[in-house]
Amino acid sequence: MKILDGKQSGLVWAYFVAGLLMVYLSYSLPGLLPGDFVTAMYAGSHVALNADQEAELRAQYTEQTGFGRYLFDLVTLKWGYSYAFLAPISELILETLPWTLLLMGGAHLISMFFGFIAGVEAAWRRGSLLEKACVGPMTLLEGVPEICGGVLFLLVFALYLGWFPAAGAETAYAEQSGLEWVADVGHHLALPLATLVLAYLPGNFLLARASVVLVRQAQFVQTARAKGLPPWRVRYVHAARNALLPMVTRFGLRLAFMVTGALVVETIHSYPGLGTLLFKAIAMRDLPLIQGIVLFSSLTVLMINLGLESLYRRLDPRVKHAS
Amino acid sequence: MKRTLIGLFFILLAVWISAVGFRPVAEAGVREIRIADGKGDWGYPNPYRHYPRGPGYVRMSLVFDTLIWKDQKGYVPALAESWSYDPASMAFTFKLDPRAKWHDQTTLTAEDVAFSIDYFKKHPYRWISVDHVDRAVVKDAQTVVIHLARPYSPFLSDIGGTMPILPRHIWSRVDDPKNFNDPQAFIGSGPYMFKDFNKAQGTYLYEAFPDYYLGRPKADRLIYVRSGKPLVSLSQGQVDLANIQPDMAEPLKKKGLVIIRDERGWSKKLMINHKKAPLDQKVFRQALAFAISQREIIDKAHRGFATPASYGLLSIDHEMYNPRTPTYAFDPAKSRELIASLGFERGPDGTFRKEGRPLKLEVLASNVTVAGESVADRDGEIIKKQLGEVGIEVDLVHLEQATTDSRVKSWNFDLAISGHGGIGGDPRILNEMIASQYGAGSVNSARYDADPRLNELLEAQMAEMDPARRKEIVFEIQKVYAEDLPAVSLYYPDNLSAYNPKKGVVWFYTRGGISKGIPIPQNKMSLIK
Repeated sequence: MKILDGKQSGLVWAYFVAGLLMVYLSYSLPGLLPGDFVTAMYAGSHVALNADQEAELRAQYTEQTGFGRYLFDLVTLKWGYSYAFLAPISELILETLPWTLLLMGGAHLISMFFGFIAGVEAAWRRGSLLEKACVGPMTLLEGVPEICGGVLFLLVFALYLGWFPAAGAETAYAEQSGLEWVADVGHHLALPLATLVLAYLPGNFLLARASVVLVRQAQFVQTARAKGLPPWRVRYVHAARNALLPMVTRFGLRLAFMVTGALVVETIHSYPGLGTLLFKAIAMRDLPLIQGIVLFSSLTVLMINLGLESLYRRLDPRVKHAS
Repeated sequence: MKRTLIGLFFILLAVWISAVGFRPVAEAGVREIRIADGKGDWGYPNPYRHYPRGPGYVRMSLVFDTLIWKDQKGYVPALAESWSYDPASMAFTFKLDPRAKWHDQTTLTAEDVAFSIDYFKKHPYRWISVDHVDRAVVKDAQTVVIHLARPYSPFLSDIGGTMPILPRHIWSRVDDPKNFNDPQAFIGSGPYMFKDFNKAQGTYLYEAFPDYYLGRPKADRLIYVRSGKPLVSLSQGQVDLANIQPDMAEPLKKKGLVIIRDERGWSKKLMINHKKAPLDQKVFRQALAFAISQREIIDKAHRGFATPASYGLLSIDHEMYNPRTPTYAFDPAKSRELIASLGFERGPDGTFRKEGRPLKLEVLASNVTVAGESVADRDGEIIKKQLGEVGIEVDLVHLEQATTDSRVKSWNFDLAISGHGGIGGDPRILNEMIASQYGAGSVNSARYDADPRLNELLEAQMAEMDPARRKEIVFEIQKVYAEDLPAVSLYYPDNLSAYNPKKGVVWFYTRGGISKGIPIPQNKMSLIK
C-alpha cells in the first residue's frame, strides 16, 4: 500500500511551502519588535551605561544574519545561542518541552477522554434530567476563564488546605529517586493540571454530545440495536466512532496552541514551560530565542496538521480528497 | 457507566494519595534555606553572565567575595581585614585576610586583586568603573596598594564594596569572558559554591564552602526557587524567605514569620522630556510638581503603603539626605498660576490653551520592576486626573516595558512613569540619574545637562575625597536638582520581606542597599556566624 498517493504528495508539497513561509516569518517578525536586547537588559537596570558603553554593547548584538544563512544554519542544526542565557536554543527548548508536554498534553488527553465519554453518555440520554443537569453547568463552565479556576484552586487547595504546593514543577534539588520523584512531580502537577482540565473539559463535552446527537437516529444505529449488540458497543463502536472526526480535529488544533495555551496557568503556578520561556524572551528581546521558539511552535503545528490529514483517512474511510 | 464511575473513583484516590501520602520530606541533617523570587532566572552567577539587575548581582556575590562588604550598620571587612587611604599619594591600601582562599583551595593573594583590576580594565564589568585607577601595586602576599590616577569619591563603594575579585590562576588564560562556560568560571572566594542553575525552572543550588575564611556558613545548601505566590509558599513552609506585598504582612505574622521592612531605597519617578516645549521651561515642570499630590497617589493606588518622596532624588533615609531640599506641597492654584505665567490661557472647559491649541501631554506607563518583582502601574490614572483638574489634558498610554523604554531613550515621549533603586547607595547615583555623561544608557536617567551649576556640582562630588566636604556638595546638588526638576520623584513604595525564624537565620535589609544600593534582604552576612 502506498503511503502517499499523487494527491497526497501534492499536499505535502503545499505544506513544505507553508513551512518555508513560516521559517521566514519567524525569522523576520521578531526583529520588528520595538526596542532591542541592550535596552531591555540595561535601560532599567542598576547599571547605568553611558552612550559609548551602550553603543559598544549594541554592536555585539545586532548582527542579524541574512535569511539564506539563517536557513542553512537551521538545516545544519545550528540553532544559535540565546542572548540572555548564553546557552544553545535547542538545549533551552528541550529542557522546557517535557514540562509543557506533561501539562498541556496531559490536560488535553484527560479532558478529551472524559469529555468524550461524558458527551456520548449525555447524548444517549437526551431529554433526561441527567443530561439537562449536565449541559447547563458545562456551558457555564465553558465561559469561566482559566485564570479564575487557577486562582480559586490555589486559594482553596494550597493556601487554606495546604494539600498542594503553590509553585514549581518539582521540589527543587530534593534529590529524590524513582517513585518518590514521580510522586513529587505529580504533587506539583495536580493543581495546574486540574485548572486546565476544567478549562478544556466543557468544550470537549459539548462537542462530543452535539456530534453524537446527530448520529443517534441514523439507520445503522438502529441496525446495530436490532442485531442485539450490547448497549456500550452500540454507543461506542458504532455511533460514537462517527463523532470521532470532529474530536480529533479539535484535539489536533488545540495541541497547536501548546506553546502559549498554558501561559496563564504557567504564570499563576510558576510552572516551567515553553509559554513562560517565550514570554520572558519577548520581554527581554532575546531574538534568537524568540525565533527558535516561534519556529519550533509553527513547525509543530504544521506537522500535526499533516499528521491529522493522514489520520482522517484511517478514522473514516469515507473521507476522500477533493479530486 | 458503572465502569466509568469506578475508574473515576480510582483516579481520585490516586490524586488524594499523592497529595497526602507521598509528600517529600527533606532529609534529616541537611540544613537548607530556600529563597523564593518571582522571576526565577537572573543568569549564571559569575560577573560576566549574571543579568545587570540587583538579584543577579546578589546571586553572584554569594560565590565571589569583594574587598569590603556591608551589613546592617555599614562597611565591614571581607577579603580585606583592614584598609586605609593616603590623600597625599591618592592611594588605598588593603590588607587581605590571610585565611582567604578560593573554592579550589588555592590561597587568595594580593596578586589576585591586582589581576582583577587589570582584567576589568581589559574586559569591563559594568557595575564598577576602574577608569580612575592608575595601577595596583602588590606590596606583599597580603597587601595591595591601589593608586588613583584622579580623585574618585565612590572608590570605596565601587572597587571596595562592589568589585568581585577574580582568581588569577583561572582567568589569566580567558580571552572571552562572556562565553567562558567551564565549571572553573564559578570558582570564587565567597561563602557558597555554585552547583547548579536550572534555566527552565529558574532554580539555583549553592553548597556551603566549609573552609570559608569567616567561618563555615550556617546553611549547608542554599536554594533559590521561583514562586509567583510568596504568601502561599511562605505559609506552607516551602520557602524560608521571600519578598511580600504589604497586605500579606499580617497573615504571615500570625503564622510565626518575621516581617522586615526596608529603608526607602526605591523610588517611583515621573520622567520628563525636558527637550520639548513647554516641558523645557523650569517653571512648567515646577507647575507639574505642584499639580501632583503624592499623598493621593499613595492612598488611592497603593492603599497607603508608601512614603512621599523627596524631590532631591536621594532617599530620605540616605546619610547625605538634605532635609532642606525644596518641596512642592500639593497646590493646584499655584500650579495654574505658574502655567498661566507662561502665556497659557484657560478655556471655557478649564483646559489651558495657547494659540488655540489645547495643552495636551502624553503619559507613558508600563510594568515596572520593583526589587526584582514586576508590578503593573496604577499611578498613571491618578496623575492623569490630577493634571486634568489643573487644566492639562493627558493622554495615558500603557505599553509593554521594553517598548516604553525604547521610546523614552529616543526622546519620543512627553512624560513617562518609571522608577529605580539605588537611591540609598553611594551618591554616584545622582550623576547616573541626572547627567547624560554618566547615564545616557539608562531609561531612568534624566539626561539633563542644561544647568551649568548642576553639572559643575556633579563633577565636583565625584572628585571630592573628603566625606564631610562631599556631603556639602551633595546637599547642594539635591537643592539645585529639586529647583530644576528634570524629573519628579513621586514616592517610595513599602518594601517588605518575610522569613522563617525557625531556620536560625536572621535576614536584614542592608543599610544603603547591597553594593550599589540593591534593596533586597539577601545579604550573605546573615548566613555567616
